[in-house]
Amino acid sequence: MNTSVNRLNSTFMRYHVETREAQWRFKLPPKFRVKIYNNCVNVQECVQACVYNVHRVGEDGRVAEPVEELCRGCHRCTLSCPKGAICVELNPAFERLGDSYFTPERIENIFFEAETGRVPVSGAGYGGAFSGRGFDSFWFDFSEIVRPTRDGIHGREYISTSVDLGRKPHNLFFDDSGNLVSKVPENIEIPIPIILDAPLSSSSKSNLNLALAKSASILNTFAIVSADDYSDDLSDYGSNLILRIGPNEARKVAGLIKTSPIVELDYADNALDENRITDDLRFVRKVNPAALVSARFLGEDSVTEKSEASVKVGVDMIHLHVEDETVVHDPDVVKRIIRGTHTRLVERGIRDQVSIVFSGGIAEAAHVPKSIILGADAVAIGLAYEIALGCKVCHGSKHEAGCPLKVEEGDVELASQRIVNLVGSWRDQLLEVLGGMGLREVRRLRGELGRAIFFEELEMKIFGDEDDSE
Amino acid sequence: MIQSRLAFKVPEVKPAVSKEPFRIGKFEVLLDRSKCTACGLCAQVCPTYIGSAIVEYEAFKKPSGILRVTNARAMCEGLVCRKCVESCPTKALTVRINPQYLILGDKRWTADLILSTWEQAESGKPSGRYEYRVGDSGGGFDKIRFDFELEEEVSINEIFEAEDRDTSIVLNRRRDGRPEISIPIPVYSADMSFGSISLRVMVARAIAAKAWNTFTSTGEGGYPNELIPFKDHVITQVATGHFGVNAETVKRARIVCLKYAQGAKPGLGGHLLADKVTPKVAEIREVVPYISLFSPFPFHNVYSVEDHYRHVQLIKDINPKALVSVKVSTPIDVDMVAIGSYYAGANILQVDGGFGGTGAAPDIAKKNIAMPIEYAIPMVHNYLVKEGVRDEMVIMASGGIRTAFDVAKIIALGADGAVIGTSELVALGCKRCGNCERGRGCPSGIATTDHALSLLIDPEWGAQRIINMYCSWKKQWNYILSKLGLSSIRELRPKNEVKFRKGRFNHLVHLDHLR
Repeated sequence: MNTSVNRLNSTFMRYHVETREAQWRFKLPPKFRVKIYNNCVNVQECVQACVYNVHRVGEDGRVAEPVEELCRGCHRCTLSCPKGAICVELNPAFERLGDSYFTPERIENIFFEAETGRVPVSGAGYGGAFSGRGFDSFWFDFSEIVRPTRDGIHGREYISTSVDLGRKPHNLFFDDSGNLVSKVPENIEIPIPIILDAPLSSSSKSNLNLALAKSASILNTFAIVSADDYSDDLSDYGSNLILRIGPNEARKVAGLIKTSPIVELDYADNALDENRITDDLRFVRKVNPAALVSARFLGEDSVTEKSEASVKVGVDMIHLHVEDETVVHDPDVVKRIIRGTHTRLVERGIRDQVSIVFSGGIAEAAHVPKSIILGADAVAIGLAYEIALGCKVCHGSKHEAGCPLKVEEGDVELASQRIVNLVGSWRDQLLEVLGGMGLREVRRLRGELGRAIFFEELEMKIFGDEDDSE
Repeated sequence: MIQSRLAFKVPEVKPAVSKEPFRIGKFEVLLDRSKCTACGLCAQVCPTYIGSAIVEYEAFKKPSGILRVTNARAMCEGLVCRKCVESCPTKALTVRINPQYLILGDKRWTADLILSTWEQAESGKPSGRYEYRVGDSGGGFDKIRFDFELEEEVSINEIFEAEDRDTSIVLNRRRDGRPEISIPIPVYSADMSFGSISLRVMVARAIAAKAWNTFTSTGEGGYPNELIPFKDHVITQVATGHFGVNAETVKRARIVCLKYAQGAKPGLGGHLLADKVTPKVAEIREVVPYISLFSPFPFHNVYSVEDHYRHVQLIKDINPKALVSVKVSTPIDVDMVAIGSYYAGANILQVDGGFGGTGAAPDIAKKNIAMPIEYAIPMVHNYLVKEGVRDEMVIMASGGIRTAFDVAKIIALGADGAVIGTSELVALGCKRCGNCERGRGCPSGIATTDHALSLLIDPEWGAQRIINMYCSWKKQWNYILSKLGLSSIRELRPKNEVKFRKGRFNHLVHLDHLR
């Protein structure tokens, strides 16, 4: 029998992600570059001043080469040097990381989260832009007096982060003696609204897939794996894998379909063809009636129609995917795609017949609850875990020159721990958000636009001519 | 019971220069030693700084390498001058923007704002070399100007020649028999606990508050005995952790602040990491040293507006003379919270916006939660106007208010005054590096409980820097009022609803909506 992830055990276990220090084989370039100019006269004021041990006295009794990776950019050494011989500047190698969306700071945070599993905490107020685009164009609404919070952060109150994948019946029918006569569709509950998308990079996938499968099984969630990349190593993790099959591939991989709890039909590169979806769906259902079937579409403006059509023919899940590179150039696309699709399905009265998984542009922990507020049930992360494993965010353009993302055979364990750490940290941050909102479970956050404050709306309300009819 | 305004004398500006030997300037000059012949021409042509004392002979004896010759205490004119570069016969000099200037600060607190705040703290006046009014966040205050700012360049000298105007505000307008406390400037200083900042910094702030006859606050970390001499100028804060809160400390204060939430992390409660809970902090907070402290969230005895009423009344019963201030953050329904606090009997509503400071908070909270204060104040103001109770409540804005112009703008948007936190710390030398929570705490000795580090701040010196900053701010308010033809800052607050038309309202212009 195919084992869905959450056959409820008889004993209740509180979901907990076990994080462990996991250092990757290389570090990010340090954020700051510390230079000591030639006019240093070795008074060693910098050694006295630095609380982070960047400046030390070397064996020759002189100020040694600064340890740049410890520098936190506090400027104390520069100010305390009577000769002005120290200059702390932004490291160009750090500045070059990523791009305008996957910024060096986001990459640094992902690295920290993957290494430690902890929540990034800092002092002083927020120093960034007033607002931004896409996920940055709205804030959470924590209404502390009107809706008291839940204390899940310190573990005293349980906040559930579980979500369901699959369709839910609109209503149930009972016979005269009160017995259920409706057929209740299969649902799979995952304890976090995060699944792991199939790797985007082209090289050395097999170890990476193994690491993903391991992480998914530790986290009790799913990893998506392409039928092409399926290897025997993965068979142990079958119950935590979503099998992705391309168009016209279904018949070739019937054996795999048979053992997969979820099958994803990938229509990302294709125009809408209801007949084909219907065909594929019928085939999968015949081979494995228990499997959930997901349809994956590329998030473009026509995706709302595609989604609606595929719900009507009976898929259980929709995976909306936006290329990360698209989000970099147009961050608002995430809002249009998720909110648009969710709203359309709600208007048609069919939203609960399908689960929506969103992927693309998920670059920080806040993007998970934000996607859910916009209307997704869960998100699939891709580039985020790849960054944790060394991806340099080239969006495929430099892959021929050798992708730095390589998981060696001996690194599988470490890689999977880093993914677990990353997801664990993001879950803790999700708990903070839910706790602050006074929500007991993440399911209630789906499509709750009332829990968000949108920059454009407020800006118009306060500073625009709102009620002018011009 | 209005205090005699005559008794108050505006404190004097006294120089309080930085104790650090070096300073970060906007420009720097680099000297390639292998080319320099020590002819001294550069020192002769430089209008401001390269003097023989600075380019030391010692340095020239070394054969090669790059030498930084900027003494930033003096003022390099930078790329527009370049006299030294051009006069150098061997092309040994380069002038460039100082890379340290480029990494100082952030979008909200730009390097310019930090440097100009330092200037004001040292000499009671910005030099005009650095932007001292707005940051670079691309929205809110940074896109709002007073209309006169668009018409002509504001010159520093003009500001400092403006005649004195009334900038005082009254903190109780309920006519409830409690004192009508008046403060001569429309600001008091924000709640920062002992633990998040050092005791010496708290004392410095208290001295400054006394000198300006305004207030500072204990924050949620208890009431250290060292503040008792300043008790008429210290607000006792009652927060969810109830650290060091007792009848005595509540009775001691002229204002008691009930902290429901903090703008930087509403809904999450306070958090002091273990390293900073030294024995002294632990003693005042009545806890065990070196254990992380969480203030629970929220007040578990306040789940409704009725509970809130009882909560306020409890404080009022304990101290019949105190004003009660209620500190809340900025959810979308902050206007409902405001009216609730009015009916609960609060004298002051402190609205803390989403970009406020904190000693430690998850990054996800600081970036993503709650409204900026620029939206919250008009919402609260408008709602109270509609309900007809605006004139009975005092609204203090906090969270992301950095400059004298920010204060004036938020008053023009509907607040009575502002509560200032980070700016005071910047006056003491904070560089906004954001390392307050880590290990021993602030490397500059401000947000720390480490004894050795806290000695970096001398309370008298620190107080003078804060006093100087407010002297400068006071002059800027005088100037704004005289430009607008107002005799008192109380006239700047709108009487009716805030409503922008074509990007303009009450002398304010929003650049993004200007038509």
